[in-house]
Amino acid sequence: MSFETAFLPLLLAMTVISFICRAGGFWLMRYVPTTPAVEAALKATPLAVMVGIVTPVAARGNPPELAALAVIVIIVRLTGSDILAAILGVATVAGLRILLGSP
Amino acid sequence: MTTSNATASDTVTFTFAGVRRGFVRGQALGFAAFVYGIAFGLLALEVGLSAIEAVLTSGVVYSGSAQLAAMNIMAEASPWTSANIWIITTSILIINARYFLYGATLRPWLGKTGPIQAYASLFVLADGNWVLSMSAYNEGERDAGFVFGSGFAMFLAWLTGTLAGSLVGALITNPALLGLDFLLVAFCGAFAVNMFKGRQDIAIVIVAAITAFITSKLVDGGWAIITAGLAGAAVAYVRYSWGSRKT
Repeated sequence: MSFETAFLPLLLAMTVISFICRAGGFWLMRYVPTTPAVEAALKATPLAVMVGIVTPVAARGNPPELAALAVIVIIVRLTGSDILAAILGVATVAGLRILLGSP
Repeated sequence: MTTSNATASDTVTFTFAGVRRGFVRGQALGFAAFVYGIAFGLLALEVGLSAIEAVLTSGVVYSGSAQLAAMNIMAEASPWTSANIWIITTSILIINARYFLYGATLRPWLGKTGPIQAYASLFVLADGNWVLSMSAYNEGERDAGFVFGSGFAMFLAWLTGTLAGSLVGALITNPALLGLDFLLVAFCGAFAVNMFKGRQDIAIVIVAAITAFITSKLVDGGWAIITAGLAGAAVAYVRYSWGSRKT
């Protein structure tokens, strides 16, 4: 278990680029005046991103994932608890993958 | 739904109570981060990184998909030449480009705290705790400590997992067997249902879904997230501009 000095430049480069990605958007928004329209756009982004994360997975059409998404919608609608729904969704995927033998 | 009237509580704070709230709410995501950390630790070991180097990489990059890509590049060309550094850096930039969007959406919240609190929160920002935080904000949470706390929960778990993976080895080789690759999708699905506020959101969801679908058919990776986010933002922007022009 050692630390090679040849690793340092790479580590430094990875540090800088990763932080630019995380802080860049936040920093840039200093210079964008938050008009009501910009505010509406920022407010709509999270929902759109979540749809963007779910859609490609749903579009693949694998039964475990589709069933899990259905479970999630039902549980959220019934209980209002998103954490519970997410955990039950994961359990559904894991269970059905084992049952159906899909990867 | 637990939506409170957020107007009265628009004052942003950054308190220990908020950090704790985020830390507690982030535990489920933290567990997944821990397991994926183990997987990454194993991979780093295979590529030839020492445990210290693996943990440092997890600490500064802190992104499963970006680190996976970096490891793939290292596996093919192990000497760390400057050309390879550029390739790895560029791939991290492309894979993590979605964080620009995340950071922008956090401006109205984190922008009202001190710069140290804001940038510390951004340093430990991950997909999962961003989703969690935006959902909490939507429900009236205004303590920016929540963003840091939930991020820190995942960060800590990610580092611990990486260390465990690179030291202990082959415990969990395939997190997909536990369905953990689905956790982020599950959270997004659940939060989206809770965030959906009826008619005004229908256009955003439809446009985002179509955009994500087309993008995912064209290119791999996180691009669908970026295009869907931008498309949804554009719908809201254009609609607001039109609406205010009419009145």
